[in-house]
Amino acid sequence: MSPIVQPATRNGAPGASGAANSASGRNPQLLMFLEQLFNALVLGSIYSLIALGYTLVYGILMMINFAHSEVLMAGAFVGLGVSILITPHLSGWLAMALILLASMAGAGFLGFIIERLAYRPLRRAARLAPLISAIGVSIMITNAVFLWVSKTTLPFPKLMNDRVMRLGFFEASSLQILIFCTAIILLTCLEWLVRRTMIGKAIRACADDLGAASLMGINTDRMIAITFVIGGMLAGAAGVLNGMYYGSIKYNLGFLPGVKAFAAAVLGGIGNITGAVLGGFILGFLEVMAAGYLPNGNQWKDVFAFMVLIGVLLLRPSGILGERIAEKV
Amino acid sequence: MIQRIKLHLLVLAALIISACSQKPKSIRIAVAMPLTGDMGTEGQGVKRAVMLAIEEANASGEFSLPLEARALDDRADPKEAVSVANMIASDPSVIAVIGHYNSGCSIPASQVYARANIPMISPASTNPKLTSQQEEPSWTLPKCIFRVVPTDDVQGSFAAEFVRGKLKFNQVAVIHDKSPYGQGLAEQFHDSFIKNGGQVISFDGIAIGERDFRALLTRIKGAKPEGVYFGGLYMEASLIIKQARELGLKAPFFSGDGSKTDELIKVAGGAVEGSYFSITGIPVEHLPSAKPFLEKYNQKYPGSSVKPFDHFGYEATQIILTALKQTGADRAKLTEAIRSMRHEGVLGVTEFDQKGDTKNKIITMTQVKNGEFVIVN
Amino acid sequence: MPPTLKHPNYPNSPITLFKTKHQASWKSKLSSLAALAALIVIPALLQSTPQAYLIRSAGLVGLYVLLALGLNFTLGYAGLFDLGYIAFYAIGAYTAAKLAILGWSFPVVVAASIAAALIVRLWVGVAILRLRGDYLAIVTMGFGEITRLVLNNWDSFTNGPKGLPRVGETIMPIRIFGFSLISNLHYYYLILIFIVAAVIISKRLENSRLGRAWVAIREDEMAAQLTGIPVANLKLAAFMISAVFAAVAGSLFAYWERFVTPESFVFWESILIVAMIVTGGMGSVHGVILGAILLGGAPQILQIALGGSEWINYRYFFFGLVLVLTVLFRPQGLFPEKRRHATLKING
Repeated sequence: MSPIVQPATRNGAPGASGAANSASGRNPQLLMFLEQLFNALVLGSIYSLIALGYTLVYGILMMINFAHSEVLMAGAFVGLGVSILITPHLSGWLAMALILLASMAGAGFLGFIIERLAYRPLRRAARLAPLISAIGVSIMITNAVFLWVSKTTLPFPKLMNDRVMRLGFFEASSLQILIFCTAIILLTCLEWLVRRTMIGKAIRACADDLGAASLMGINTDRMIAITFVIGGMLAGAAGVLNGMYYGSIKYNLGFLPGVKAFAAAVLGGIGNITGAVLGGFILGFLEVMAAGYLPNGNQWKDVFAFMVLIGVLLLRPSGILGERIAEKV
Repeated sequence: MIQRIKLHLLVLAALIISACSQKPKSIRIAVAMPLTGDMGTEGQGVKRAVMLAIEEANASGEFSLPLEARALDDRADPKEAVSVANMIASDPSVIAVIGHYNSGCSIPASQVYARANIPMISPASTNPKLTSQQEEPSWTLPKCIFRVVPTDDVQGSFAAEFVRGKLKFNQVAVIHDKSPYGQGLAEQFHDSFIKNGGQVISFDGIAIGERDFRALLTRIKGAKPEGVYFGGLYMEASLIIKQARELGLKAPFFSGDGSKTDELIKVAGGAVEGSYFSITGIPVEHLPSAKPFLEKYNQKYPGSSVKPFDHFGYEATQIILTALKQTGADRAKLTEAIRSMRHEGVLGVTEFDQKGDTKNKIITMTQVKNGEFVIVN
Repeated sequence: MPPTLKHPNYPNSPITLFKTKHQASWKSKLSSLAALAALIVIPALLQSTPQAYLIRSAGLVGLYVLLALGLNFTLGYAGLFDLGYIAFYAIGAYTAAKLAILGWSFPVVVAASIAAALIVRLWVGVAILRLRGDYLAIVTMGFGEITRLVLNNWDSFTNGPKGLPRVGETIMPIRIFGFSLISNLHYYYLILIFIVAAVIISKRLENSRLGRAWVAIREDEMAAQLTGIPVANLKLAAFMISAVFAAVAGSLFAYWERFVTPESFVFWESILIVAMIVTGGMGSVHGVILGAILLGGAPQILQIALGGSEWINYRYFFFGLVLVLTVLFRPQGLFPEKRRHATLKING
């Protein structure tokens, strides 16, 4: 196979099709597909972590937490702050673990504040009222970081030595592997927390029926707060991973992944934890494949992802793993 | 309650009408930039540069009335930009406008300025329509729209000729950020590169604010380009370079003046080494007249590095101030003075052509060596 | 005597289920006329003062009022959570821009943009209206984003991020009886006319059988279905009426700005319009207008108040604060809908 490279027109790039290289031995198309698959896994794992925050809160309150994307952003900034404090003294795994824990704590606390400020006072208000207060809080958080922390992009330290690793027969950076593994560990922890602990049981009870749970002696207000904290912690971790993965952070970094993770949560079936993870990975996969293989794919990938989302919801109106019961509007 | 609100409305109206206009005690130059929102970073940079220029002018004592910068926020939203333009146009003490940042804001706002005959100098909008609309037969308003930043066509073709002619590259991949600036630059590069006999193997758009380019770059890597050209701003540029190197795509990287910032080097680190950036004029670091600007800027705003369009904002202010010295605070006379001006400043020599575009079309190619931009052509 | 019912928790407090007739007292009518007169006269007086920019701000708020009144049919009356409403504003604006460049006359252009928005809205509505609650929200959001991305990516038709009109083209101003509408004041009056029409339409529909059926659907879809209300058709009707309002607002916007780019139609705008309805009071015409004035006007007022000083950087921080405080202090909306208002008065 010889490299065939056609002059591209502005609207159609041959891209992948002309990319055959006989020198590398194995099938280069397959290699590239594997690399793309790995890109998708890493992106999907970050989306999953964020989507869980949406889905947890939704499961219990039947309400979108519009301020969640700002928790992600704030988590990244806490991570940067801590890393600036500790990197002169510590490095490697310990530093990374500390930074991750600190930003999870910070973001969890922010989740708690958001619940107190925007949700709890409005427990009995009109259905969409908390949505608006959450939007207000999210605008305030973004602008507070813009005003008092940084008006510009800040570099985020790598924390780990990054190098291109050969995994069997395809290349991936060690950073990607690290991020993927961290995300998987966190997802497993959450699964354990929700399935195997008393808190998890209480959260599940609240999600099933808030009123009944309250009658069973569960402090529902506290459970709602805990849910916000857990969601915030996951978003904080996602923020640090996001910062490490892309190497920079800015006050507005939360919005785009927030919207996409929200879409992912709905795609999987909002309120369903496995669904959120599944939705996150599917969305990551769709985006990467669209950008990697469709002609002019990168600028159309969101269109593609949203069309698939709409298509799935039309076939399964409660998402992939959502319960098929008519819910009250 | 309805009645009460309606009553309030009436009271408010009475208040507004009775609010009398006060006599101007200062000369104002408006700065209309995105000061909040996603483009806030860039707008704040230009604002800082303008403030610096005005502060210097006040300290020099050459102006009878104190000068004042009136900073307004358009949030990179076209309709807010027009509202801001209306506020500026109806403020009699404003003599000139520096703004806006986005072409999408500058173009609708420019018509408001033209109606009030306020000279407007854009330090950052590169869409040709901004000035060329004044040449259209339907344009009956005064021609008072200028820009100190060159349009994209000049820079894009210069870069293409450099890559094709000097580096002898045959195949490049082109990426742009789907903004009027980035896409314009990339299209110009694309056309010019092909005209010179090269091949553009892919032409892709990304979105401003997007952070993950690995899928696109993996595909580009597979196509094995000799170079990658990016039309866009430093934020995305730094992420693209960084991710390309992490994926093992080692082809040299080219971009325009929107990318050439210190932030780029800070964020992308070693990955940016060897990349090329075309810039308009001579790089500020190398221009003797610009040294004081950089020094003062860094002294006044420690911790905020110079953003790509800051020196354009500074230059625009200097042009207005020079014209002001010649004519006094009169909008129409100021426009005429700016039109016929020959100004030497941080961008070199600036003169305006018939449309109001700068004639300064010197482009320099720089390369990052040891973390600094070095002139290579 | 309206029918009453005993609340299980508060047996001694009668609850008014609904008012049978909307009573507009002569006082209310008079004050409405006075307010309208003020809205007509004040801008004309402002025209040549340094405060003339207020006309522009008022016109812009007016466009938001139109949009909010439009979305009120979908969200406020029928209770359909639409997060992609701005797409139809965009479709209206782009259709108008395209046709106005060709020199079509204003009424034809407006009719065409309404038609364009209706066709798309019908196509979308038929497909997605069986989705409920937040699933509908995410699908409409997805559709809104798709619309914006198509406008941004379809360079040959929309000129992409560079916007319409292209170099060498112009949007011809509206001409009525040989008189061109150019200034902000002209557009302010034009928008005001459309708002008055929109308010009358909203009020008439609100108190019609249709309006009551919508509210029934919003409050309990199942029960509405059982009482024989054609739920699917009426939902679609609310959805379509909203599109008409958006298309009209969009074409006014295109004519007024004489330049449209995709950055005017971002997701944030959809959220903002939803916020206007919720902070104003879902389903209440007065409330929605008030909400649109508050949230559409707040950024402008903050601009005027903070502009020129370093405080300008705090503008959107304060805007967020306004949003939070409004909802916290009036969780049912600034001006809750009459019907809802009645059910709220539990303790008499």
